[in-house]
Amino acid sequence: MGAAIESLGPAVREERVSVPGGGVERVATPEDVEALGGLVAAASEDRAGLLFLGGRTRLHLANPAAPLVLGVSLAGLVGIDEFDPDEGVLHAGAGTPIQQIRETVAAEGWELPLDTPGTTSTVGGTVATAATGPRAHAFGTVKDALLGLEVVGADGVATKCGGRVVKNVTGYDLAKLYCGSFGTIAIVTGAWLRLRPTPPVLRSFEAEIANEAAAFEALRKLGERPSVRAVIWRAVADRCAGARVLVELGGSEAGVASDLAAYREVASFEGADGTAVDAERDRAIGSADEIEIRARVLGTNTYEFLSATLAVGLSVSAEPGQGLVRAHGALPSVETLLDLRETAVRLGGFAAFERLPNGWRPEVDVFGDVGGGGPIIQSLSRRFDPNGILNPGRFVARGPVGRGV
Amino acid sequence: MSAAPTHNAPPAEAPRPTVAPPGLIERLRRIVGDENCLAREGELFAYECDGLTLDPHRPLAVLLPETTEEVARIVLACREAGVHFVPRGAGTGLSGGAHATPGSVLIECSRMNRILEVDEANRTAVVQPGVVNAELSTAIKHLGLFYAPDPSSQQACTIGGNVAENSGGPHTLKYGTTTNHILSLEVVLPDGTITRLGNRTGESPGPDLVGAFVGSEGTLGIVTEITVNLEPIPEAIETLLAIFDDVVAACRAVGRVIRSGVVPAAMEIVDKRTIEAVEASVYAAGLPTNAGAVLIVELDGSKVCMEGEIAAIREACEAEGCQTIQVAQNEEERLKFWRARKGAFGAMGRLAPDLYVHDAVVPRVKLPEILAKVGEICDRHRLKLANVFHAGDGNLHPNICFDRRDPDELERVIAAGEEILTACTEAGGVITGEHGVGVEKRDYMHLVFEPHDLEPMYRLRETFNPDGVCNPGKQIPTTRFCVESNPKARGYDEVPI
Repeated sequence: MGAAIESLGPAVREERVSVPGGGVERVATPEDVEALGGLVAAASEDRAGLLFLGGRTRLHLANPAAPLVLGVSLAGLVGIDEFDPDEGVLHAGAGTPIQQIRETVAAEGWELPLDTPGTTSTVGGTVATAATGPRAHAFGTVKDALLGLEVVGADGVATKCGGRVVKNVTGYDLAKLYCGSFGTIAIVTGAWLRLRPTPPVLRSFEAEIANEAAAFEALRKLGERPSVRAVIWRAVADRCAGARVLVELGGSEAGVASDLAAYREVASFEGADGTAVDAERDRAIGSADEIEIRARVLGTNTYEFLSATLAVGLSVSAEPGQGLVRAHGALPSVETLLDLRETAVRLGGFAAFERLPNGWRPEVDVFGDVGGGGPIIQSLSRRFDPNGILNPGRFVARGPVGRGV
Repeated sequence: MSAAPTHNAPPAEAPRPTVAPPGLIERLRRIVGDENCLAREGELFAYECDGLTLDPHRPLAVLLPETTEEVARIVLACREAGVHFVPRGAGTGLSGGAHATPGSVLIECSRMNRILEVDEANRTAVVQPGVVNAELSTAIKHLGLFYAPDPSSQQACTIGGNVAENSGGPHTLKYGTTTNHILSLEVVLPDGTITRLGNRTGESPGPDLVGAFVGSEGTLGIVTEITVNLEPIPEAIETLLAIFDDVVAACRAVGRVIRSGVVPAAMEIVDKRTIEAVEASVYAAGLPTNAGAVLIVELDGSKVCMEGEIAAIREACEAEGCQTIQVAQNEEERLKFWRARKGAFGAMGRLAPDLYVHDAVVPRVKLPEILAKVGEICDRHRLKLANVFHAGDGNLHPNICFDRRDPDELERVIAAGEEILTACTEAGGVITGEHGVGVEKRDYMHLVFEPHDLEPMYRLRETFNPDGVCNPGKQIPTTRFCVESNPKARGYDEVPI
């Protein structure tokens, strides 16, 4: 550690945390925002790279890190500070587990519109990685649930943006910038979140269906029905004749029944276990497979991309209404992987490689080309983190790599 | 202990030219053509301000480009002449975001008004910034689609202006504000570069630059093309009008609706004084003038759900003692209910020569107490107050009727406005929910943010607009809180009679 960090005498424990391109041997857990700010300011003085840790569920999702000196866990910033059941808003520290919030608000008839995979994700990690699941269909993205954020910048200064109200244009919308920036612009320390009323009726259904473009398109259009919360189309490479479709509906009894009837005109949907969507989400995101791709393309192009991934032997969990395809499995070469990215770009979107073999990383940017935003992002980085200490090297715009797609 | 802020607000600006530098106007005329370059005194009068009539400034010239390339060439010409430039849509904004600054040029995008593409299958449209908000929905209605953000000025305001202000509207409650409907942007950066942010899926690798750009009030660059997402027209729409003895009961009913689990598309309250103004105007909707307030609730979704949701609204309103509750029986009646709401600002023109439309947000549960407080403030300052607001969002619009020819009354309006904003922030709210900061509230940012909270905002602005040539002096204080103790610096002493 550098001199400035050493002079703080931060309580650190010996712990090896590995990430693509390196890792850390020691981890500090600041007990409050002030301690975190002091640590970050010292690291900035030392030009020492910090690796920030939330629930540690997505550490693999990154480009190879630049040299790291210390891990910083946000587990000390834990707790639901305020929950207003009349207003439907909540404030929690970055280290607060998402599952804890779900359980707290459910008791008052609310649900947290963050469909983060698994049960160990934290508020800070979810915001930093903008992690969503299939219920983004109804919930929207993480950004849509954010009312305000508190962060610590690379200079160690704690600041806030947004607020606790549901409508707000007071100043720049910095929360949009921080969310999904993987802790490279500032470190989230707390968040005001907007809740949704829990639907009175919540049901899941599943069906086996032919893996064909017409059926996929029919389901994509049905996704506009008001009670649809999630639709997952699962197809496996070696059984590509058929797909398993899972639908979650929520709303009034009459609304759910009406929308179910519409789905049953397409396939024989039968009742599924209430946890089916959670299970499928957690299976598809964070699989143990060697390759995991998350791609967004134009809605009408989703089936074409899905077919391209099946054709190279991957399994697929697609969300027809979102233009989203998650593919996982193994691929014979990095060229095949990059071909899929080119296909996603051609179809109007992008492909991020959430998991890939370490040997391929030097040739592949995990996130892909940021297009016209590249120079702006690099300028942002210089202004917000001039000494390059916040999760250095792990996010986008690292420069041309491999085929540059 | 946290480190002290290391970043300073931009230095005070060097004096700008107040007359056009030699050759600039001629160069601009060559870019856009004579008919699209307004620089004669009489042509500029209408461009002194936007919907905020306080603090006006006449620009050096108004340019009306028709293409992105023209915008970029204008920007380069201004830069080379050392002249600031200010983007403007229809000029309906209420916070002075499109006010010219002294010695600046206005770039008015109203002639970039084409809908370039509608992709029905993917529910997206590509539009130029000068497309009028309501005209997009009209143009796509036959496809069963609509564009959701619906500010009250939607018959005149442009989508480019909506992007700059992150405009809301009554249906924000269910559909969100403009930012929730923008997928990608083509922009001319303040250095003249044309670039594209985002893609048509609405998500792209890297920080969300589109999200940061929306609501930046034209300070980060000029939007020249916008890709928006469209919504399917709901199968059923029901509009209810509930009449209450007082506005506090109406607010409580809104709280009950929220807790019931029903998510209406809109919940709007119109108070007694506004009802009186509306009923005496061409917007008359047959509202009882002895009512204390009316609550308009709009539901949309599946037909089969409407009966149950109407019952839930009835129950919530009756629990708070509403006098009557009507359900619009046809489209004509539904539009009549809405006319009472959307025509309110126009109708209030009958109450006084001037109207100061405030915009603040509080937690919904604080609405009853803040309305009482706002009433007390205006009574104490002997001002006429009318309230019409987005109750479901906690977004107040206290409207103060006044006559700016009376300097004493003008001072009281300004003093009351500051007290209202202070009360809202003390209740956990913010100083603007949809009108923006502009020049109007720039110097009230300290009510919400500490100086160090503004540092990242300066960093963002400097990333896009490092030398401050694009719409300077808007949204965040130019020098930190320099006018905090000097309301005159806001320009109210320059109000023309």
